[in-house]
Amino acid sequence: MTTTEATSRTAGTVAELSRTRSLRQVLQIQSFQILLVLLVIFLIFAALAPEVFPTWGNVRQIIQNVSILGVLGIGMTFVIVTSGIDLSVGSNLVFSGVVAAKVMQAMGGSGWGTAIVGIFVAVGCGLGWGLLNGVLIAKAKVPPLIVTLGTLGAALGLAQVITGGVDIREVPEVLQDTIGYGNVPGTTLPTISLIAMVFILLFGIVLHRTRFGLYTFAVGSNEESARRVGVKVDRQLISIYVLSGGLAGVAGILSLSQYGTTAIAGQSATNLNVIAAVVIGGTSLFGGVGTIFGTVVGLFIPAVLQNGFVIVGIQPFWQQVAVGAVLVLAVYVDQRRRAAAARGQSTKAGGKKAFFGRRSH
Amino acid sequence: MKLTPKITLLAAGMLAATSLSACAGGSAPSGSAAGAQPKLAFIQGVAGDEFYVSMQCGINAAAKSAGASVNTQGPAKFDPTLQKPIVDSVVASHPDAILIAPTDVAAMQAPLKAAAAAGIKVILVDTTVQDPSFASSAIASDNKGGGLEAFKAIKNLNPQGGKVLVISTDPGVSTADARVAGFEEGAKADSSFQYLGVQYSHNDPAEAARLVSAALAKDSDIVGVFAANTFAAEGTATGVRQAGKQDQVKIVGFDAGPAQVKQLKEGVVQALIAQEPSSIGTQGVEQALKAIKGESTQKEIQTGFKQITAENISGDGSQYVYKSSC
Repeated sequence: MTTTEATSRTAGTVAELSRTRSLRQVLQIQSFQILLVLLVIFLIFAALAPEVFPTWGNVRQIIQNVSILGVLGIGMTFVIVTSGIDLSVGSNLVFSGVVAAKVMQAMGGSGWGTAIVGIFVAVGCGLGWGLLNGVLIAKAKVPPLIVTLGTLGAALGLAQVITGGVDIREVPEVLQDTIGYGNVPGTTLPTISLIAMVFILLFGIVLHRTRFGLYTFAVGSNEESARRVGVKVDRQLISIYVLSGGLAGVAGILSLSQYGTTAIAGQSATNLNVIAAVVIGGTSLFGGVGTIFGTVVGLFIPAVLQNGFVIVGIQPFWQQVAVGAVLVLAVYVDQRRRAAAARGQSTKAGGKKAFFGRRSH
Repeated sequence: MKLTPKITLLAAGMLAATSLSACAGGSAPSGSAAGAQPKLAFIQGVAGDEFYVSMQCGINAAAKSAGASVNTQGPAKFDPTLQKPIVDSVVASHPDAILIAPTDVAAMQAPLKAAAAAGIKVILVDTTVQDPSFASSAIASDNKGGGLEAFKAIKNLNPQGGKVLVISTDPGVSTADARVAGFEEGAKADSSFQYLGVQYSHNDPAEAARLVSAALAKDSDIVGVFAANTFAAEGTATGVRQAGKQDQVKIVGFDAGPAQVKQLKEGVVQALIAQEPSSIGTQGVEQALKAIKGESTQKEIQTGFKQITAENISGDGSQYVYKSSC
């Protein structure tokens, strides 16, 4: 890991500008590869269960079930692009949901007034945990893995302290009826998915088109050179963990709306599922490379696999095997690409030949 | 920062997606025709647990004799956030009936109600939901009675009384809550016993072991622990063993998986309250088939339980032991 990082850093400083461009090209290929994988999986299941699988009703519920993870995936993509990690998203989600539910329970009422307060409380809690993560990582220089492992336990523990471990099931009906199970008026698109899409588009633009996004990639590619060219690295890192936390807060209220319960015992593998999706989507764990689009595709692969396996009637355990294989494959492709980039072959060979990883070295 | 290729890519993706959903619109979902082989789906609370495997055995046997097919699915953990996507996928495959053990009374309400609204007959097995009025039938053990029976078992083992504790799974799991309530009722009604309350192990044996160790550190004179399900019993036994108090603390487990039976035979656990998962499954299929045919169903069915001890395990108790495969 360290060697790859060191070598790619040299490559980065030598030709920063051309590198960004070539990386973008490779990136597109990687996202496209993973999209192809998704399409193949989709077509296989469509062939196996033509009357059930490729229907809008089925696709709709896959989209609905991916929505909450999608919101978390945005923040995680930003974090992983900086070569960080955020293990606390699942616990943060639960904590935010618990505090929001508690506040809404205390306020009573099932109308929008209560719901809006709940939404702000959830997002506020999420931002708070994100800020704590960010400050500890950027200022106190504690590794992200450790900081977020700490807040993973702390947030879940506090959620259990607040509730005594007993799930709160009094969620305002408007949240459940409109966000949780409602459709966008006039369509059959779930509201929760529209919300997720808005966030995905918004932060996709932020990551790929704004200065903030550019700095995020810069910090992830090479923190030291980013610092030297005047990027406020600490502030950038804190903002990114705050973003991840805030989105976990959003996911918290979405989860409350969808499940109608705080589901404290749930979400224990959410962080790993989201990280897996981000990595499958072509975002490199070593930082500096990644797309929101890839993450979204990466989220759909496990979801479509599970849905397909259930419909075809395959034993549920196989889904985990398949996802594990795709995950390792994705990281392997990333490693090969990094090794190739380190040897200076990244730009020229990056044509259509390289669709399935480059073999030429 | 040129982004034309990206936009092209996005556009390609969207095109692919729209063309897919477009062709998806063409093929309408079709339920299986009347008179054909009934399609049943069984959604477990957690995959691979002997209780649900035994239930699956009952379901498979009953379905086979009735000429029905069964698709069995279950989440890797007893967790509504993992079970909901499975429920949605099963509903999308539009079976004639779903037999399901809901993992949360609130979270599974809406998805199952939607399934019932889509014309799928829903049979709740073992656990239930907040408002089960949409379900054709709800079949479960008399869990409250089971909890009370567990207290009686502890009392048989400790006639002189003392401190008793409950290790449950998660709050909100209807069956476990009922067992705890039954036990609590019995313990509070008996003045020689002091009820220490309930701790939640979140279906994790290691967590149960930690809870029991901590409880024994606080109250070293606990005489009995009621472990409300399989995982809780496993962990409780470990915790008691770690504290070296096997002779003092009597453990009564709920459920009779191979691990519990082994513990019973080894004397780690002194009694087991066994449910009848196979019977729940068989009756579930009966009710499901009735509902599919449009016949009237029995809204609520309670199955019994059996106290298994070292004395009857090789005799009439053996048939109540759960299976790890059919």
